[in-house]
Amino acid sequence: MTSTGGAGAEPTGVAAVARRAAELLPEAGVITDHARLRTYECDGLTHYRVTPALVVIPEDAGQLAGIIAACAEHDVPYVARGSGTGLSGGALPHAEGVLVVTSRMRAIREVRREDQRAVVEPGVINLDVTRAATPHGYYYAPDPSSQQVCSIGGNLAENSGGAHCLKYGFTANHVLAADLVTPDGELVTLGGTAPDSPGYDLLGAVVGSEGTLGIATSVTVRLTRLPEEVRTVLVGFESTDQAGAATSAIIAAGVLPAAIEMMDALAIEAAEAAVHCNYPEGAGAVLVIELDGAADEVEQEYAEVERLCRDHGAFEQRLATDPADRALIWKGRKSAFAAVGRISPDYIVQDGVIPRTALPEVLHAIAELSASSGVRVANVFHAGDGNLHPLVLFDDAVEGAGEAAEQVSGAILDLCIQHGGSITGEHGVGVDKAAYMPRMYSDEDLDTMQLVRCAFDPRGISNPGKIFPTPRLCGEVPGRHKGPHPLQQAGLAEVF
Amino acid sequence: MPTATLTDAARRAVSDVCEVRDAEPLDGVDGVVPTLVARPTTTEGVAAVLRAAAGHGLTVVPRGRGTKLSWGRPPTSADVLLDLSGLDRLIDHAAGDLIVAAEAGMTLAELQQHVGGAGQRLCVDETVPGASVGGTLVANTSGPRRLVAGTMRDLLIGITVVRADGVVAKAGGRVVKNVAGYDLGKLMIGSFGTLAVVTEATFRLHPVPAARRWVTAPVEDARHAQRLAQEVIHSQCVPAAVEIDWPPVAGGVLTVLVEGRAEGVDARAATVRGLLGDFATETEDPPAGWSAYPWGSPEEGAERPTSLKLTFALSGLGAVLATARELDAEVPIAVSGSAGAGVAHAAIPAEAPVEGVSAAVERLRETCSRHGGSAVVLDAPAAVKAAVDPWGPVAALALMRRVKDQFDPDHRLSPGRFVGGI
Amino acid sequence: MEGRTDTPAYDGHLGETGSIVDLGLPAPGGAFDEHHPPDAALVGDCVHCGFCLPTCPTYVLWGEEMDSPRGRIYLMKEGLEGEPMNDAMVSHWDACLGCMSCVTACPSGVQYDTLIEQTRAQVERRHRRSAADRALRSLIFAIFPHPRRLRLLRGPLRGLQRTGLDRALRRTGLLERLAPQLAVMESLAPRLGKPMPLPEHIRATGERRAVVGMLTGCVQGAFFPGVNAATARVLQAEGCDIVVPAGQGCCGALSAHNGREEEAQRYARRLVDTFERADVDLLVVNAAGCGSTMKDYARLLADDPAYAERARALAEKVRDVAEVLDELGPVAERHPLEVSVAYHDACHLAHAQGVRAQPRRLLAGIPGLELREIAEPELCCGSAGIYNILNPEPARELGDRKAANIVATGAELLVTANPGCLMQVASAIDRSGHPMGMAHTVEVLDASIRGVPAESLREGTRPSA
Repeated sequence: MTSTGGAGAEPTGVAAVARRAAELLPEAGVITDHARLRTYECDGLTHYRVTPALVVIPEDAGQLAGIIAACAEHDVPYVARGSGTGLSGGALPHAEGVLVVTSRMRAIREVRREDQRAVVEPGVINLDVTRAATPHGYYYAPDPSSQQVCSIGGNLAENSGGAHCLKYGFTANHVLAADLVTPDGELVTLGGTAPDSPGYDLLGAVVGSEGTLGIATSVTVRLTRLPEEVRTVLVGFESTDQAGAATSAIIAAGVLPAAIEMMDALAIEAAEAAVHCNYPEGAGAVLVIELDGAADEVEQEYAEVERLCRDHGAFEQRLATDPADRALIWKGRKSAFAAVGRISPDYIVQDGVIPRTALPEVLHAIAELSASSGVRVANVFHAGDGNLHPLVLFDDAVEGAGEAAEQVSGAILDLCIQHGGSITGEHGVGVDKAAYMPRMYSDEDLDTMQLVRCAFDPRGISNPGKIFPTPRLCGEVPGRHKGPHPLQQAGLAEVF
Repeated sequence: MPTATLTDAARRAVSDVCEVRDAEPLDGVDGVVPTLVARPTTTEGVAAVLRAAAGHGLTVVPRGRGTKLSWGRPPTSADVLLDLSGLDRLIDHAAGDLIVAAEAGMTLAELQQHVGGAGQRLCVDETVPGASVGGTLVANTSGPRRLVAGTMRDLLIGITVVRADGVVAKAGGRVVKNVAGYDLGKLMIGSFGTLAVVTEATFRLHPVPAARRWVTAPVEDARHAQRLAQEVIHSQCVPAAVEIDWPPVAGGVLTVLVEGRAEGVDARAATVRGLLGDFATETEDPPAGWSAYPWGSPEEGAERPTSLKLTFALSGLGAVLATARELDAEVPIAVSGSAGAGVAHAAIPAEAPVEGVSAAVERLRETCSRHGGSAVVLDAPAAVKAAVDPWGPVAALALMRRVKDQFDPDHRLSPGRFVGGI
Repeated sequence: MEGRTDTPAYDGHLGETGSIVDLGLPAPGGAFDEHHPPDAALVGDCVHCGFCLPTCPTYVLWGEEMDSPRGRIYLMKEGLEGEPMNDAMVSHWDACLGCMSCVTACPSGVQYDTLIEQTRAQVERRHRRSAADRALRSLIFAIFPHPRRLRLLRGPLRGLQRTGLDRALRRTGLLERLAPQLAVMESLAPRLGKPMPLPEHIRATGERRAVVGMLTGCVQGAFFPGVNAATARVLQAEGCDIVVPAGQGCCGALSAHNGREEEAQRYARRLVDTFERADVDLLVVNAAGCGSTMKDYARLLADDPAYAERARALAEKVRDVAEVLDELGPVAERHPLEVSVAYHDACHLAHAQGVRAQPRRLLAGIPGLELREIAEPELCCGSAGIYNILNPEPARELGDRKAANIVATGAELLVTANPGCLMQVASAIDRSGHPMGMAHTVEVLDASIRGVPAESLREGTRPSA
């Protein structure tokens, strides 16, 4: 933090924002102590750490808007953070910026069964929305594996998915409106309780924009009817090939399960060690298949699924007998990432997407990569929609292991791109995959996306450095800079 | 300002890169006749036209199959009508991955026929007969099945656009799960051709269900309609559609569609019959006018009815229907649409007096707004359009203008058709 | 706010992975010294996933990273990396309830319970607390671990209760204004009965199935002697010869949980000596906090060659009373008890010892007893040893939250297995205006075995009007 000017001069930069924060927020909401600041230096992606210059924890939209307005006035970058569980470094702070934490804005404002809507503050935990809706016979469908801790605001920023998005869609399909504090510090309402608000679908652009277009202070979400019947079955196969073929067969038969998840042997080993989920012993791969809907329909579908799995070599099929059993089957899958910590000191979790039909080929390619490089890869993924989560395992204490893991990780992403997929299905680009954006999109594509950013954030203060590999300036930058921008001079930016 | 003539240089610039012809009155966009009609057949062709237009400051109005040209406000200028019917190819149908990629000028019907061959469908109803894929997308039209599969917003997974400056850009891709970069596709949906020209789109598909059943029941009044709709919505029958048909003055019918496997559909239809009461009937064929808008397709040359899109929170259905009934005394209003999604459409006959229509729009808008929604006049006779604010109040308009300014700084794409004069 | 230059400016090149596993020793000048600092390897186990956050009572209350297990571990990491110990860091470690809900939630198996104890011990040795804080802690540790002094406290308290003055003091809030921590202790003073000492040897009823030692405890023995009596009766009825050595002393749990390492070790050694002499198969404990510490004696005395092995041997014999009874299986007849019960999992029983199913099975084995689950079961009641005395505000909030969840079950009787929990929840329920009966798990079993009517369990355990 720097204070320009001599004694008696008005503070500038972060110091000015800190002063404004002290006026707006209670003492506990403004953090300046170094040791405390450091606890915020990374989110769920621990590879990158940057200590923010200031952390603020507003309690309401007015406070939050006031902080952002101060940032706009003093040209101070800011980054938003919910529960800090993101896997792409979206909440990685800026060393000379403010980290705006929404964890105290966690009220569920209303649950309206008759409209199938709920209105929540951004810090509300995903699963808590479901808990509030359950007594009404409803739930909140998007269920990232971190749903017991991740925030709705974070979900909105990343357009989070989860195991059930094959059938139910992503956050973008379940967010109907949001109050947004723009990078100017203004509060606008995007979308509405009813769908199809006239005008541009700005909400559609904001969801998944990873905090670069503003911060939501209130979110209206769609609630989904709790299904009459749910059947969760854990199926053991000898290989991922078989499991993949079974998956394709199920989809081809016209069945749309609520979820089809796959884990390979290494991932199963980790999950077993962590939560003792008792997955079929000796399985080369397991599928966790969940069917839900009207009871009669589910029964028919289940019979078909069971048959198809058997036809494709399933050696064990275990149907969950009660909610506790079902929860345990899912626990194995949902703990997989963190559980991997038990079988490897370090790991990289990837998030590539490929067309489902390319699954066997890509899995083989990954296996080959692993074999030739000697880097172990555990595979956990949403088989139904081709969203892979290869867990690249390594021991950082071993010389060169980190780099080797990075290489394998990058090669996997390249595989995804080659097969017409995506570099990120749900974790977001953040800082982690910004360098890969040019492999997936052309300069023109990225330029066009940046038009949106320029409309919302001409000053470039809203989570700068995320998503796009090279910062681009938006024409005339109002404010302090006269002449070429320092980044431009440094050859790190182009006028756009 | 509408330009009656183009400079020779401008005209040549366009004709050098594309097949052009002089426009005829039939090419009019809501009464505004363009000067030139350009008909490229590829994305690169579209880019060339737009580059040429940019070079000479020409305004451009894109046209798919011309089924919704009179929607929104008339353009303030239309130098070039960009006819996209030549971009009508199916690019790829990956049945195993349940996706299809098509050029924007292809008709929705043709796309459905293609994918239908593999037992799949793009789950968006063709509410405007003969509509193109691109037109459906930029007008965001939808029908009864939006309840089960959403709209274009939920089905679009990849898009190619050409900007006003002629640059071609892609967003999304060929996979359903993709959060890399901004979702430009969503911005394009419902944008009425004012942000960029959509030339290709990739969609996720759904398997065509084995069986379907329509269950219909009369409703006594607005309150009854809401009560029944709520029962069905909160039930476990998983409806694919819950439609209200509400003619002027009297009557009203609620229709529920269930789709799925034969045995399941039987049971669920029975459940619905139980909910809808003694007078419920069940058929395997859709009721007349099932996925059509209430204003139908007026004949060539006939004056258009006033066509509205009404949105409201689900609990506001009764109020909207009641308001329509009250207004019927002055001006007959036919309402039909999704009671399950809170999106309905209304038709007021062309011959209704302007003041009456204007007042009706006001009232409906007020009711919808009170229930968290909006009322938009999609189309109307010229006199009505001049008298009403077709789009109504729009939140975040300033931000929308900034987005427009970034994409089309010179405001040359479909100028004036959209909200806030965009 | 100082400007720090050691973190890189944001220029597109970001910080490197900071792995501290290769730090063999804490960095000099940092918060910790070399005597059992928070274990770097254990700190390294944390993958920063955040699954612990929603189960942490202080995160649930305050929503800030520093008061979450993930944040506290991060502060330990910072300390190991060289960050000096300051009031801010200490305040966050002090604010930790030690409930170990995070240990249950953590998918990576981080041993936070060990880490916080190591950290607290360092804090006690290396951090200078305020005079008031030091005085309060000295007072607490001068009284609580000494059953005889606790019993003396009973005298005046009993007197106060007979006159009803204690209620007056509480209601007017005068006591609270005078000395907040004293007021908390006062309000926690439960309804007391006559002190009943236990004989040193108790013969089993019927066939002898085990020889067990019994810990009489400090707060339990002094404030809830009825629980000890019930424990003895039930064990006896289930075929146990019981040895209740005199002069056991404190197990050292409060000291261990609050970083007073040497003090804890002194108590532990004495108990090891005492129960070794007693020569029992198992050592039965009816206070969750005590049982959890005693099971950890091997680590507590690991550095003492004269005791290390013996401590380990004793630790392996320690069982919670619910564990023992469940293990042995019931032989004594259960008479019906028509009563609805809300069972509250004490943190040191559920999270620390993993004992959840056994008490439920024992209660379910009583005919006519209806067991109800409490919402947010993983959330601590706020007692947490002496936490409610040191941190009355958050403790009160958590107590009220737990009370509301318990009252919402509509049960007639609250059952739990820790005196601290019982006191904390009793006072919160009392505040909520929905008085309920309250009992220890073993008291309910005792009532069933003795054929005591449910009425006396329901009404007799309520706070007297």
